[in-house]
Amino acid sequence: MPEGSYGADLARLLPEVALALVSFVVLVADLIARGRDSRRIGWLTLAGLLVVAATLLREWGEPSTIVFGMVTVDAFAVFWKLFVTAALGAVVLFTIYARETPRHGAGEFYFVLLSAGLGAFFLVSTTNLLLLVLALELLGLSSYVLAGISKGDRRSAEAALKYVIFGAAATGVMLFGLSILYGLSGTLDLREMARVLAGAEADVGTGRAIDRFALAEPALAVGIVLSLVGFGYKISAVPFHWWTPDVYEGAPTAVSTFLAVASKGAAFGALLRFTGALFVGPVEGAGAAFAAKLSSLLALLAAVTMTYGNFAALRQRNLKRLLAYSSIAHAGYALMGVATLRPSGFEASIFYLAAYYFMNLGAFGAVIYFARTTGNEEIEGLRGLGWKTPLVSGCLVVFLISLTGIPPTVGFFGKWYLFVACWNEGLGWLTVVAAANSVISLFYYFRIAKALLLVPGEEAVFPHRRVPALAGVLGLLGAGTVWFGISVGGLQAACAKALTLF
Amino acid sequence: MEVPQFSGIDVLSWIVFLPAIGTLAVLALPSSARRPMQWISIVATAIPFLLAAWVYFGPFEKGNGGMQMITEARWIPAFDIFYRVGIDGISLPLLLLNTLLFVVAVPASFTIEKGRKGYFALLLLLETGVSGVFVALDFFLFYVFWEVMLLPMYFLIGIWGGPRREYAAIKFFLYTLIGSVLMLVAMVALYLDADVDPAAPGLQHTFDLLQLQALAQAGQLNGQNLLGDGVLLGLAFQTWIFAFLFIGFAIKVPVFPFHTWLPDAHVEAPTPVSVILAGILLKLGGYGMLRINFPLAPDAFHDAANFLAILGVVNIVYGAFVAMAQKDFKKLVAYSSVSHMGYMLLGFAAMTEWSVNGATFQMFTHGISSAMLFLVVGVIYDRAHHRDIAKFGGISQRMPVYFGLSTLGMFTSLGLPGLAGFVSEAMTLVGSYEKYPVYVALSVIGIVITAAFFLWTIQRVFLGPLNEKYKELPEINGREVFSQAPLAVLCVVLGILPFLVLDWQGPAIENFLNLIGAKS
Repeated sequence: MPEGSYGADLARLLPEVALALVSFVVLVADLIARGRDSRRIGWLTLAGLLVVAATLLREWGEPSTIVFGMVTVDAFAVFWKLFVTAALGAVVLFTIYARETPRHGAGEFYFVLLSAGLGAFFLVSTTNLLLLVLALELLGLSSYVLAGISKGDRRSAEAALKYVIFGAAATGVMLFGLSILYGLSGTLDLREMARVLAGAEADVGTGRAIDRFALAEPALAVGIVLSLVGFGYKISAVPFHWWTPDVYEGAPTAVSTFLAVASKGAAFGALLRFTGALFVGPVEGAGAAFAAKLSSLLALLAAVTMTYGNFAALRQRNLKRLLAYSSIAHAGYALMGVATLRPSGFEASIFYLAAYYFMNLGAFGAVIYFARTTGNEEIEGLRGLGWKTPLVSGCLVVFLISLTGIPPTVGFFGKWYLFVACWNEGLGWLTVVAAANSVISLFYYFRIAKALLLVPGEEAVFPHRRVPALAGVLGLLGAGTVWFGISVGGLQAACAKALTLF
Repeated sequence: MEVPQFSGIDVLSWIVFLPAIGTLAVLALPSSARRPMQWISIVATAIPFLLAAWVYFGPFEKGNGGMQMITEARWIPAFDIFYRVGIDGISLPLLLLNTLLFVVAVPASFTIEKGRKGYFALLLLLETGVSGVFVALDFFLFYVFWEVMLLPMYFLIGIWGGPRREYAAIKFFLYTLIGSVLMLVAMVALYLDADVDPAAPGLQHTFDLLQLQALAQAGQLNGQNLLGDGVLLGLAFQTWIFAFLFIGFAIKVPVFPFHTWLPDAHVEAPTPVSVILAGILLKLGGYGMLRINFPLAPDAFHDAANFLAILGVVNIVYGAFVAMAQKDFKKLVAYSSVSHMGYMLLGFAAMTEWSVNGATFQMFTHGISSAMLFLVVGVIYDRAHHRDIAKFGGISQRMPVYFGLSTLGMFTSLGLPGLAGFVSEAMTLVGSYEKYPVYVALSVIGIVITAAFFLWTIQRVFLGPLNEKYKELPEINGREVFSQAPLAVLCVVLGILPFLVLDWQGPAIENFLNLIGAKS
């Protein structure tokens, strides 16, 4: 990298700078408004996010590594940043219309939300383990605050506490694993590490190239597996998922949405970069054998995660807990592509998460809508409401069939993509497990549809006012879910373009 | 052959998507607009029917056993997925039957009071799904249409159904989804195994059903590309594919022991939905077997044929006995469907020209007769508000026209010579005899029982002294006659002139038999 080009570096960091600036502007604006005008602060945040998105679209192109190799700006990073920005936008909209919107201190809420976004931005755009951990911590710490943002609510406080404790433990374990990797390779940069581990570089002491996969396999295995704990925690893969239902249920729904979509998506981005740099590509000999073992481990993790998530969701009565377990199951599906450790599988995972954006945001948004209009978060409380709100419940049904994986929706095509990738890479059994899981998931997703529509709606009442704007947002997400299920080409091309790791 | 087009879109796509356009139009109307909604539904089902009839008697070349009017357009290039439609002598009669049954079902739905808008929107969407399955020539497209039918059906039973509708709807959905998921897994495997470009092995795959059939016929779809030796857990790749696809389609037919969703769904579904379900949805299973299951795994089909024939006989005999034991009129008709679909399976399994022709024709004739019988049940249920066979009696005195139509439907169903059902059943049994004489002999038990329970039903419901409760029963009205009349005409016409369908399907079936290697 040429020296002394800080200006050029900073120019490529424009989205991050813009996001940081927006967060400060929002905080100061709230101070000026003395916390009285939380709605307008929300709109201000949304406008800021639009600016960030505009700066991101400029970056969609030539890749480069800046700031002494710490930050990588490539299509992959830009894709995930756009994903996170779009998710943040939806979360802000949901917050504006949610019942539990903080009347005071909205500025702080948005400030912390955008800080979490900043953490996610750096998380997806680094190959440096140090920055990776820092970004993960920024995202994590902000998320802890967000989970506990409803100060008076005991459940919210409990959720935040659980989240902190699990988070601290997971990060600690991950740090330990990363330190082992550093010890074995002598570098913090993932690409450099991949070359050293494979024995491409001559050892400083002996002058001979050493294949560390062959030499230190147990230590490497411990290092990799412990590092995966940190990622597993963030994407809520079994067995690191314990916090998920409690936190999703306790936190304000908009925050749960953020955790389920933006935070999970960014963590997947980082996981793809991490495993992609180390194990996908021209790995040979002992390295290839190691990758094959890791692939089996990840496949097992995927199978257990989706099966556990789906079975646990069957018993839920609370909508947010149900969606929490469903998001665990979907983490399992998305892991299928990672487990192949092949570019085609990675592409499938990226597409699946893009599909997940539409359908899961939509499902959470519908829960917010019903919570706002009826004050209820239980499935039984939805009885007959579908007849009173045809648009919202119609959209919710679309999201549910997409989550189940039935055409013509984007969720079906996401599953299809994963199935083909897994079959093709010798994980046919995982395809069968995932297919069986879709049938299980039908049970609980359609309990919601059943409550909404299959019972007569005469007795259903809305104690609160309708929210047409929120219904409009859900309509857009529903249209996206169907549109990208029929006209897949555009989204698929974007995902293929985003895969610049190899 | 030039594909007939209207405004640049081929006629088959019009038939498929006009009802979907109707769905959007219905959704755009306010809930109170009852009349416009009915008119839109009539138009959106009548035009596809007229178009299908025009294709049937017009541009379709009936001597040609191959696919005709093929239209294709790229859909998802990354996975070699095309929008590819076409029609042959097997699918065209079923497409015509489908469009006709929706024309019949729409006026039969005018009595629906609750959530009318949603009802008609879903009904029309259902038609798009079913028609799409019949014309799809791309496996992926086929699957998408197959799944599009699920959701409307779930809600049509679940919202507008009887007292146990929630249970029936989810049961239907789950059974069918299990079948679809098995089909999906088989589809992924077939797609990855199909290698169309020998120059670049493992890169160029296809979903084109015709191409897949040709590959299977040439023995190149045996899992060599996916598994190397083509063996998975001790069983041949083809056996797995065949089993997965067969269960998927058998659930739809329904073949014993996957049939238990059917009586529940039928009993709870509103009359027009039962008509569609029995008339055409069950045929999708048989059609899927003919088009996909057997041709894509021909060797496994030959190995399994005897087993399938046994399943067919079980369906025939078991279905008939269970039907005989029913007290509920609708359940009786539902189980008679299980019995009748057994003939279809037996005929397919025998693989002779006569048996397959008869079995395919059986799909058509049963589509007419069962649809008619469900309309018959609907008429009496609307008046008496129950379906308990034992509680009627002497109805013929009050409703002579209705009595005539009902008797015609039942006689067609039990296979009275001169009516359509006789031709198809006789052809199936005669054709199967040379291969499976014992099974055919056993099936005769089913025929006898079927005749017995239908005659007994006629006696209990229509004959004898008039039940005092039903002294004021009004005669069948014009709208109801309109629904049943076309079916009644077909029952008679196809009994006398069966070649009106047989000539169309014959060459295509010969083609099918060549494809699976049943003829040399």
